[in-house]
Amino acid sequence: METSKSSARENILARIRAANARPHPAPPPVAPLDAIFPPITNPRQRFLDECAGNLTEVFQTTDAAASAEALETILSTVPAGQVYVQDDASLFPFVALLEQWRRVRMSSQGAPAESTQATLTLAHGFVAQTGSVLTSSACGGRGASIVPPCHIVYGRGEQIVPNIAAALARVQAEIPGASYVGLITGSSRTADIEKILVQGAHGPRRLVIILEG
Amino acid sequence: MSTAAQEFLRKAVIKSADLEHRATIQRAVTSYDAAVAKGKLRFADWEAARTLCAAIKADAIANLAQYLTEFEQHVTSRGGHVHWAENAEQANDYVVEVAKARNVKTVVKSKSMVTEEIHLAAALQKIGVTVWETDLGEFIVQLRNEPPYHIVTPAMHLSRYQIADLFRDKLGENVEDADPVRLVAAARVALRRAFFSAEMGISGANFLVADSGMVAISTNEGNGRLTTSIPRIHVVVTGIEKIIPRMSDLAALWPVLATSGTGQPITTYSTLVRGPRTASEPDGPEEFHVVLVDNGRTGLLANPETEEVLKCIRCGACLNICPIFKQVGGHTYGTIYPGPIGSIYTPRTAGLSEWGHLSYACSLCTACKGVCPVKIDLPKQLLGTRRDFIAAGNVKPAERVGFAAFRWAAADPARFRLLAWMGRKALAAVNALGLSGTALDPMRVWTKYRSPMTLPKQSFREWWRENGNK
Repeated sequence: METSKSSARENILARIRAANARPHPAPPPVAPLDAIFPPITNPRQRFLDECAGNLTEVFQTTDAAASAEALETILSTVPAGQVYVQDDASLFPFVALLEQWRRVRMSSQGAPAESTQATLTLAHGFVAQTGSVLTSSACGGRGASIVPPCHIVYGRGEQIVPNIAAALARVQAEIPGASYVGLITGSSRTADIEKILVQGAHGPRRLVIILEG
Repeated sequence: MSTAAQEFLRKAVIKSADLEHRATIQRAVTSYDAAVAKGKLRFADWEAARTLCAAIKADAIANLAQYLTEFEQHVTSRGGHVHWAENAEQANDYVVEVAKARNVKTVVKSKSMVTEEIHLAAALQKIGVTVWETDLGEFIVQLRNEPPYHIVTPAMHLSRYQIADLFRDKLGENVEDADPVRLVAAARVALRRAFFSAEMGISGANFLVADSGMVAISTNEGNGRLTTSIPRIHVVVTGIEKIIPRMSDLAALWPVLATSGTGQPITTYSTLVRGPRTASEPDGPEEFHVVLVDNGRTGLLANPETEEVLKCIRCGACLNICPIFKQVGGHTYGTIYPGPIGSIYTPRTAGLSEWGHLSYACSLCTACKGVCPVKIDLPKQLLGTRRDFIAAGNVKPAERVGFAAFRWAAADPARFRLLAWMGRKALAAVNALGLSGTALDPMRVWTKYRSPMTLPKQSFREWWRENGNK
């Protein structure tokens, strides 16, 4: 099996190299991304507008106390059941609060259970251009953002970046180790039946952001 | 005529007269068109975006070996496996071997046209593995034992009532009023069980990022995320042409793919995975395999005229705009990839004589060229396919005679006059005998579905002699 494997590789590469030995036409001049997408003058406002458009719920708060209050409001609409929390010191104050009402499982204890009702994680950033959350496996693992019916993200206003290009630059600079990186834009959805939009196909029905400051 | 060509004609006649099918496709395409028109307004310069994406993909194709090995190096360095497959058999054998060695009983699949192309699900089912398609549209067509109708919306041809009937028969679910929300919920319940019992998840890839060893997967439903997060083995099966040079290229490619595919600004889950879970991560697969499939792609690359076909990002825009596709539907083509791109790709990779007829499933309206986000000259490709199909000897005897007669007549005014006179007489005779549209009518291809062509009193030459100088 190993021999055929390596020969398949060599055969394919040899065919590619033989084909590409001929000269290729010079690429046409291309415009920079700034000319392709309209400028974003107010990233925060744009982010909020995009979230409204893609059905992401945003709770804007001023401080930790207000964020805790927002979390309580969100949890009051989530059915009974376990909450999964990214094991990060900045979320510990919320954990103490959550434990008053819910069973809590921390990401350091392993993957979220299928029956998890909600998760609370951080994000690497927020994208104004598309109203997206930049997340990765460093934010409580892969399942945290896809398994539960409700994903709650806690972040700060200064984490908003203008566009996808800036978010991708952040991936390379700040999360080189994560095995998964994703831009999440709204909740899970499908339009596979008669092009009618339905929320909550396989992943979360709700994506909620607590945006502090 | 090849069997596939006869089948195409037979099915095309049935589908284009199927009014229910036509209404369903019309509804879907109207909704798609509106979303795309709105989506394009989010760009300051959509044309410049297309040019940029075309240039990125052209660079990738021109330096394919370099980028593929760069990608491979990144994946291997993080503990992933890269397997190269020259054809469908080699790709399937590898995945089957991995499944056997790891005692895999259940596989969940997210949408991948390449796995359709190589018939991977059938290969796995043969060794007793249960395979679940998890994209809702794919799940629906799998329950119907049908291939995907469309490369982006596999169940585009079905109404919610047909889907409700299907779920009642196959899943035992009674969904009131065929409510889409409840249909989706029923599928979610069935597929959740599959996700959490599967040992292996198989996905495709929208892009393979050379500079960082990332596999980019775009899904709206999140099935791609679950497929790549829950089972302990993740296998990516994809074509070698999916490579792109840099992660930063996604800043243009993601919005352009989403806009052309569905009209969205970006797909809900724009996902990048680059290996098995690391020691510090709480979950994710322990094994990560990427199968790079050739299966005819290097053949397209070897021909300078067809290499641009490898730029295709499988957005489906050329299908949605094609007047032929909208009439005959996705299944009529009898191919994995339907529509304009499929009518180029299939003859070029699966056999010119068997599939070359598809290049005629085209009115040369060129609408597809106008919407292609990577600027593939689809009409030119279709014409080139026709030329090579004919050059390979696939000419109908009647066409050979007809064109020989025309060549003879067009070389001399007297001969032209004679041929035109004979044509008029023949047409008049066919009409007078009431043979129009019957098997004895030489113009049957045209008149079968149309009223008889009426013969003007004069030929143009006669009319011109009388009126030309007035």
